Amino acid sequence: MNVAESLDAIHRLNPKLNAFLNVKADAVGIPIAVKDNIVTTDMPTTCGSRILRGFVSPYDATVITRLRRAGRAIVGKTNLDEFAMGSSTEHSAFGPTRNPWDTSRVAGGSSGGSAAAVAARMVPAALGSETGGSVRQPAAFCGVVGLKPTYGRVSRSGLVAFASSLDQIGIVTKTVRECAEVLGIIAGHDPLDSTSSNEKVDEYTADVDAGVKGLRFGVVREAVERLEGDVRANFDDALRVLRASGATVEDASVPTIGYAIAIYYIVANAEASANLARFDGVRYGHRSARAKTVHEMYFASRGEGFGAEVKRRIMLGTFALSSGYYDAYYGRAQAVRARLREDFAAAFQRFDFLLTPTTPEVAFKIGAKTEDPLSMYLSDIFTAPANLVGIPAIAIPSGFSREGLPLSLQIMAPHFGERALFRAAGFFEGETGYWRQMPTECRMQNAE
Amino acid sequence: MKITRDEARRIAELAHLEFDDAALERLAAEMTKILTYIDQLREVEGSTDKSVGATPLREDVARPGIAREAVERNAPSWRDGHFVVPKVIE
Repeated sequence: MNVAESLDAIHRLNPKLNAFLNVKADAVGIPIAVKDNIVTTDMPTTCGSRILRGFVSPYDATVITRLRRAGRAIVGKTNLDEFAMGSSTEHSAFGPTRNPWDTSRVAGGSSGGSAAAVAARMVPAALGSETGGSVRQPAAFCGVVGLKPTYGRVSRSGLVAFASSLDQIGIVTKTVRECAEVLGIIAGHDPLDSTSSNEKVDEYTADVDAGVKGLRFGVVREAVERLEGDVRANFDDALRVLRASGATVEDASVPTIGYAIAIYYIVANAEASANLARFDGVRYGHRSARAKTVHEMYFASRGEGFGAEVKRRIMLGTFALSSGYYDAYYGRAQAVRARLREDFAAAFQRFDFLLTPTTPEVAFKIGAKTEDPLSMYLSDIFTAPANLVGIPAIAIPSGFSREGLPLSLQIMAPHFGERALFRAAGFFEGETGYWRQMPTECRMQNAE
Repeated sequence: MKITRDEARRIAELAHLEFDDAALERLAAEMTKILTYIDQLREVEGSTDKSVGATPLREDVARPGIAREAVERNAPSWRDGHFVVPKVIE
């Protein structure tokens, strides 16, 4: 796909899907889209928020520089939940992104724009960002490949910070090989991000076709024991594909995995409450016109600029860090997080990979969960553990529900195991080939 | 954990967020529900392992920063190379 074809598809489909917030017509190279919390000098960066209205970054994110150097063309910036806080892209100040398989449903989130753009063939690849599943969950809902690399694998210089001990830039593509190619471009140490790792950048495409004979897959028992319906049947089918290939597939145990969402909503919100303190109306973005004093300016600018979900999370995070509650909430969450890390390390003693479905359900209807924050949070129940532990994980299309909505298998590997992850995912993709199916919305457009 | 409206107001003050009474009431109820879910962390034994590596630090040397004009372009109010804000002290 070239830039002209990509722009043409965006022009045709975006009015229906709302996947892009900004499009750049003069880009040159292989098209790629970028989530709008990754800063660019030639387009605004909104983070899906009113508070950053009019903001244009004075510098490019490191991933942007690396993509351009490798001949990729940034064709546009994609929609997201405000500051990447959400699981449906409904918390964007610019309206929800719609799922290309059924436009009455969400695309997932927070990288919903990136996932919908790839699923609808508007671009062959897109960058997203991950804090608790924000690439894998929308990739699952939209039937595309979504990777969260190891914490520190990709530079975050220029990624607007949400939760700094969890954030990592991720990749959405149609196929595993394309995903491995993009990781090869953006991975590696960056002096501008001291949390980026010095670990050698691997040959990520080398084993995509190597098969999985002799590899050991563990099925996380505590995560899958309550699965039901289509998700259960589809997951069992995926295990059969792996078993038939000569891989071992056995029960694994990660006893604390069920606590991931509880840990996540303390740790992520605590860090977010600190990171988002910078949006105060002083240096950039929205400043309230009605403030008479600097104190009023902070309250009014943030009150007017932030949406309801961002405020809710800042409130929870501020609470968890406040005097009298710090040990009981933040300290407790970090201690259980350490335990979760130990449980994963023990499981990886026996297995090369751990498996769960990517999501506990298919894409839900727009509006179905906006009034119930906790039920929205539980969308990330299978994805958040990898962020808390720092390991890489990939979401790979695994078929369709009875109503024709995408389902997805999640494969997790030990730290810096991306090459092996592409091997396992590449095998599964080759055996099943679900990526070839076109979403309803593109088929209709192509027929017109 | 039950969050009252007064508790929510205290947290909002700390967080520099403005809410009206109705919004505070709603937030207090939502936070109570979410924290009740989070309270399940009390039932599990944590770990004291702190072996996760600290972030490596870089040499503290001066490096080129962002050009002042580029900063000015995004400023809500700017004069003579400075951000302008409303009165700080009465």
